[in-house]
Amino acid sequence: MKSKVIYCILFLSISAHLSSQNLLDKLANEDIETSSYVMSTFKGTRISIGHSVETRKKNTLEISFMSRYWNVPQESSNSFIADRMCTRVGLDYGISDRLTVGFGSGNPNGIFDSYLKYRLVQQSTTKKGSPIGITLLQAGTYRTRSIKGIERRTNFGEKLAFTTQVLIARKFSRNFSFQISPTFIHRTSSNFSIDDHNHFAVGFSPRYKLNNHVALVSEYYYVINPLKSLDTYGAFALGVNWEVSDLLLQFKMTNNQIFTEDAFITQTAQNFNFRDGNFYFGFHATYHIQL
Amino acid sequence: MNKTLLLILLIFINHSSTTPSKEEYIERQGEVSFFSYTSVENIQATNNQALSIFDIKTNEVAVRILMRAFVFKKSLMHEHFNESYIESDLYPEATFSGTIVDFDSSITTEQTRIIKGDFTLKNITKPVEIKAKISKIDEDYSIDGNLEILIEDYNINIPALLSPNISKKIEVTFNFKYKPHEK
Repeated sequence: MKSKVIYCILFLSISAHLSSQNLLDKLANEDIETSSYVMSTFKGTRISIGHSVETRKKNTLEISFMSRYWNVPQESSNSFIADRMCTRVGLDYGISDRLTVGFGSGNPNGIFDSYLKYRLVQQSTTKKGSPIGITLLQAGTYRTRSIKGIERRTNFGEKLAFTTQVLIARKFSRNFSFQISPTFIHRTSSNFSIDDHNHFAVGFSPRYKLNNHVALVSEYYYVINPLKSLDTYGAFALGVNWEVSDLLLQFKMTNNQIFTEDAFITQTAQNFNFRDGNFYFGFHATYHIQL
Repeated sequence: MNKTLLLILLIFINHSSTTPSKEEYIERQGEVSFFSYTSVENIQATNNQALSIFDIKTNEVAVRILMRAFVFKKSLMHEHFNESYIESDLYPEATFSGTIVDFDSSITTEQTRIIKGDFTLKNITKPVEIKAKISKIDEDYSIDGNLEILIEDYNINIPALLSPNISKKIEVTFNFKYKPHEK
């Protein structure tokens, strides 16, 4: 008798549960149309020092301040915090959700740069879509000053350099993303005949999200045919990206001082270590404005 | 004993699946908006793709909301909402299922009723009571109302630095227009 009552109660509770569950189950069969693109493979348009697959959305403007600080070896210096610094102020604007344009100018190196970035393929959340995201980058720079004397400097056309990158990235899990960046760099002139005008390089950039607002990032660029007139090393960066509402703060340790791709990928003259002259501390702040 | 229980259950399941759906009304483009007002900034987003079913016989209502479908004025807010707060990759949907208390389908004018039910967000289910207006327009039903949601109830983590930017109480409004559900 007792068991019957229990069964009866059980049955009643199940039936009540079933009927309330029913309507939601019916809704589960209905499709909601939505984009199935993976969001936020990286947070900013730069992973740390180099470009990421991310572009800006239509009608958004980003103002970025980039800086590097370092000490000069064997100098009895009284500088405040660091002996030298280098900055770049840039603007990035989303023409459409796929196309972003950017301009910047560096101080005191006097490099003007501009780029166009087009998001060709977006990684899909479903099995049917693309497993990777691909973005094309075309950047150009103009050097108003000689930095390492790599290029000839008699006329305007000799002071230019162009970088073409195919950025290929995949967000493997919600925390881990990885990007491979095949890169072609063309410099319009070379001061020394042993230097090639064209360089090929590959970038490797992992990102690991520590929490919803902080990510650990790293980058390394391997140059296949480096400069011969100068001993160069692969550009390396290890950093932290911290997102605070409209502001993206990027802190990094690196071995190069210049912000444009052609310069840091092919002309990094020091390897990464913590000695004065080799160690550069970088800080980027990017402010996001919706127009 | 077990066999009879099974039999009863089977009969019940059969019965429920063969119930005619004339009493069912569906909304496929329901509007759900939320607002967060603080002195620092106002955040507002609207979703025009909420799914809802309303059964006038049992007075039951069910709602399914895709979190990614919320549209923000600022694209960065959309990204932060999905990536950092709602984590829509892990919890893609919010759902509600409940019953309208004392709903009378014979009334053709507007009636204000309480909807009692369970709201699920980020896999956390809390009982909610929503004051809603239900009206019948020709063959269609419309339900609109609003509710308040406490951020702390649903495991939404806001860093201390940003807590002045996001209200602790989120106002949600909805407006559903139901049509008879035809199969």
